[in-house]
Amino acid sequence: MSQPQRVWKGRGCAAGQFEGEAVVSSQPFGFWQGLDPQTGTVIDKRHDLCGTNVKGKAFAFPYGRGSTGTPGIFLEAVRNGCAPAAIVNVKSEPMIIMCALLAEAFFRVSIPIVDSLEGVPHEVLRSGDRVRIDGSTGVVEVLSRA
Amino acid sequence: MYLTDEEQRILNGECGEPQRLALQVLAKLGEACGAERLVEIASAHLVASSYQIAGEAGIEIYSRLVEQGARVKVRTTSDPGSIDFARWREFKTPAEYAARQLRIAELLDQMGVIPTWTCTPYTTFNVPRFGDHLGWSESSAVVFVNSVIGARTNRLAAYVDLCAALTGRVPYFGLHLTENRRGEVLFELTPDLAADFADHYFPALGYLVGQTVGDKIPVIVGLTRATFDQLKAFGAASAASGSVALYHMVGITPEARTLEEACGGRIPAERITVGTREITAVMEQMGGVTDGPVDVVGIGCPHASIDQMRRYAALLAGQRVHPDTELWVCTNVVVEEMARKMGYVEIIERAGAKLMVGTCHNDCPLQAWGFRRLVTDSGKFAYYTPTTVGTQCVFASTEACIRAAVAGRVERS
Repeated sequence: MSQPQRVWKGRGCAAGQFEGEAVVSSQPFGFWQGLDPQTGTVIDKRHDLCGTNVKGKAFAFPYGRGSTGTPGIFLEAVRNGCAPAAIVNVKSEPMIIMCALLAEAFFRVSIPIVDSLEGVPHEVLRSGDRVRIDGSTGVVEVLSRA
Repeated sequence: MYLTDEEQRILNGECGEPQRLALQVLAKLGEACGAERLVEIASAHLVASSYQIAGEAGIEIYSRLVEQGARVKVRTTSDPGSIDFARWREFKTPAEYAARQLRIAELLDQMGVIPTWTCTPYTTFNVPRFGDHLGWSESSAVVFVNSVIGARTNRLAAYVDLCAALTGRVPYFGLHLTENRRGEVLFELTPDLAADFADHYFPALGYLVGQTVGDKIPVIVGLTRATFDQLKAFGAASAASGSVALYHMVGITPEARTLEEACGGRIPAERITVGTREITAVMEQMGGVTDGPVDVVGIGCPHASIDQMRRYAALLAGQRVHPDTELWVCTNVVVEEMARKMGYVEIIERAGAKLMVGTCHNDCPLQAWGFRRLVTDSGKFAYYTPTTVGTQCVFASTEACIRAAVAGRVERS
């Protein structure tokens, strides 16, 4: 197992393990009207990640902008294999946590969610970083820098 | 989290797989949100009833649950669908799209959901009482029943609402607890604004408040009266531009007989003054009026009440909607039937407007129309339609909306 360069401790909001690439934004994100569930591409024209694909990646954004329809889009992405595989927030609102719980219940897909890191996610993580995330312990490790 | 014996039995699978799965989701959500237990609910309302939200994932989930014998345990109603079930061809909905919505309807029916297809179920068969615990989603309905009725529900997400319906329970946190229902941000209206508060200022103020507070609980001071529909319009706008799930209007809403009561005895430090200048500025942001043609006018968001139908009929009597403009009046099937009996539907349709029942501009695929400019009196439409319908939006009073539909254009007066 590779040695992490940096380790941050946060709160585990949804269980699961992830190791892979991070996609990081400093802007809040809403999946409803924000993600194309057929591809995993960000489609919100007002968002700085518009055009970026988050499929299979650890998606870090400060807060969710949560319409109650959020899990509709999220689970459609999960079903298509196009959802992010982990989420890191400054604060994870219940809407985002619900998405992970539903993905696990209905599609047996674990999407770890961690919030309340000691550092601000979009300051301590960079797009392209290789990270390991444990959704139970809330530990986020940077394995290699972009 | 504490579970009763019955809940433990459900979790052990003794009441079938759908209930087990649903309770597992609710228990985990409760744990993540610091709930000590679950609470029984009087009713549920489902937002993933539209194909636009549920998609193929929803159909897969519902099909599996139906196969496993899922039935709702409490009174449960459906949010708008993605088609007008009677007129989808008139609205140019593709047949294969309509078929997927009809499949969802069939599945919800098999689970015992009351097919109200409305964002205002509280005008039909789902009327909560003060203090009832509920498992509702649909942001505009959540804010209405919390604020105007004094029932208690968090903003549940799509499918979590179904978990609530299947088990008759939700995790006991957030707005279910009295201490979390206290007002947090104070909005004081200037006397000159309050004295001359026009009907369409309600959604405008809601939009401003939502934008300012996010998901905090606003308290509005300075208004002395508001109708059912004005409170509905205010709340819907605040829940769209922000995530407001509960507001208090001192002297108007039931948990705010006084400012003290609205704030649970602790008057918030954060005070914001709203005057005519602020209201004018937010209306400009929602969609300022610039001279030019209009393709489509949307009224009835949230779904129109019988009072609104009467008003629309009075405004449209003897008028004719411009041939290049569509005027769509969104409502639910219960109000439609009553409005038909009372002669309003005939007047509205004779004027060339269309009733859009059980859905709305926001929930329906409208690409085939190629609309460029929409006029609406709804703060929620103003927030969403630039994305959902892909139009430029103009926000105006109900009267101005109808004038625009008749003239086929708007003009800055």
